[in-house]
Amino acid sequence: MRMKLRILLFIFAILLSGCVDVEICDNNSDSELVAKFKTVKEGLTSDSTVTALSLYGIREGKSDSLLYNSLSTSGFVVPLNPHLPYSSFVLKIDEQIDTLTIYHHQELYLISYTCGFANMFTLEHLEYDMGMIVKDSILNEMVDAEYESDEEHIWLYL
Amino acid sequence: MNQMKNISGSISRALFVLLVLALSGQVTAQEVSARDTLRTFGPRFGIDLARFIYIFTDPSEIGAEASVDFEIHKNIYPVFELGYNSISESEELFDYSAGGVYARTGMDYNFLPMKDRSVHHSMTIGFRYGMSVFSHSAENVQIANSYWGEYMPEPYENNLTGHWLEIVGGLKTELVPNLFLGWSVRYKILLNPGMDPVMIPELIPGYGTGGENRSFGFSYSILYKIPLLKR
Repeated sequence: MRMKLRILLFIFAILLSGCVDVEICDNNSDSELVAKFKTVKEGLTSDSTVTALSLYGIREGKSDSLLYNSLSTSGFVVPLNPHLPYSSFVLKIDEQIDTLTIYHHQELYLISYTCGFANMFTLEHLEYDMGMIVKDSILNEMVDAEYESDEEHIWLYL
Repeated sequence: MNQMKNISGSISRALFVLLVLALSGQVTAQEVSARDTLRTFGPRFGIDLARFIYIFTDPSEIGAEASVDFEIHKNIYPVFELGYNSISESEELFDYSAGGVYARTGMDYNFLPMKDRSVHHSMTIGFRYGMSVFSHSAENVQIANSYWGEYMPEPYENNLTGHWLEIVGGLKTELVPNLFLGWSVRYKILLNPGMDPVMIPELIPGYGTGGENRSFGFSYSILYKIPLLKR
């Protein structure tokens, strides 16, 4: 009798244990690209920190909204545009200005049933034409909604 | 809300397990009858009653399952099971639905000692191979984007096939001649968990949640054996 009771309690414990999983979703489901500034001196690539970066995205039908406003930084993190196959940004560093266009395609992926879907972007190539950015390299072409602190997707050479 | 549904579903299933354990107390040993030693053979058809009870605990999931087995050799029962399962849920950020048919085939072995050939109670252990052909879809998907604006992609749909193996243990009691009541517990191993890299199926019909590579199942069946021959 005691043994049976123990078995029943064990079954109850197993069944109820399925109810205590609580998933906490990140409020930000944006897929964000991480860019770092670089310079090449005497053939050696090194990190570059700019004294005042201002940056905004070119949003059709919407007013400009600054993502960075005169910040001293060695790079930037920007959300990619899910509505178009490219994302365009205006970068102003001190008195220099350039337009950076990042071409990409995207696929849906499910983060979880609680947290919903996000976009997985695949970077194709970058364009810029004003002379401030001299070259680029794509380090990691996959941009998803899970941000990791040591993640770097592109390098921009100034 | 979901958590409440889980709790009420789990409690109902637990009560169900209690009821079945209580009923199982009847079968402790085979009864001995000296008068009739003929054994009845024939296909035994069953339906899973647990599926109907689950509708009350979780109305978003609908299912039905039928089975047939036949004692082809002493204590050896080949089994075939066929079922349908669907789910339709409104999540906060999208609507999900999945549905399809499944089949399982395998063998049960009765290890209850037989003292009289005319008694057909059984305590079995067996295995199954299961396959499910189903589709699942996500509609009204919303992806919040703080800078570029909310993105609502096209509905996503995929047709899939799931494969799994099961170890099954159970018990069947012959209530009146040829009419049985039985339960079984199943340990399931999913063979192709990465069947959809975009969206893990919330329900693989006949298996359970696609996000779990191992799962448990429970059936409670009423069965009738067509007495084709006695020998």
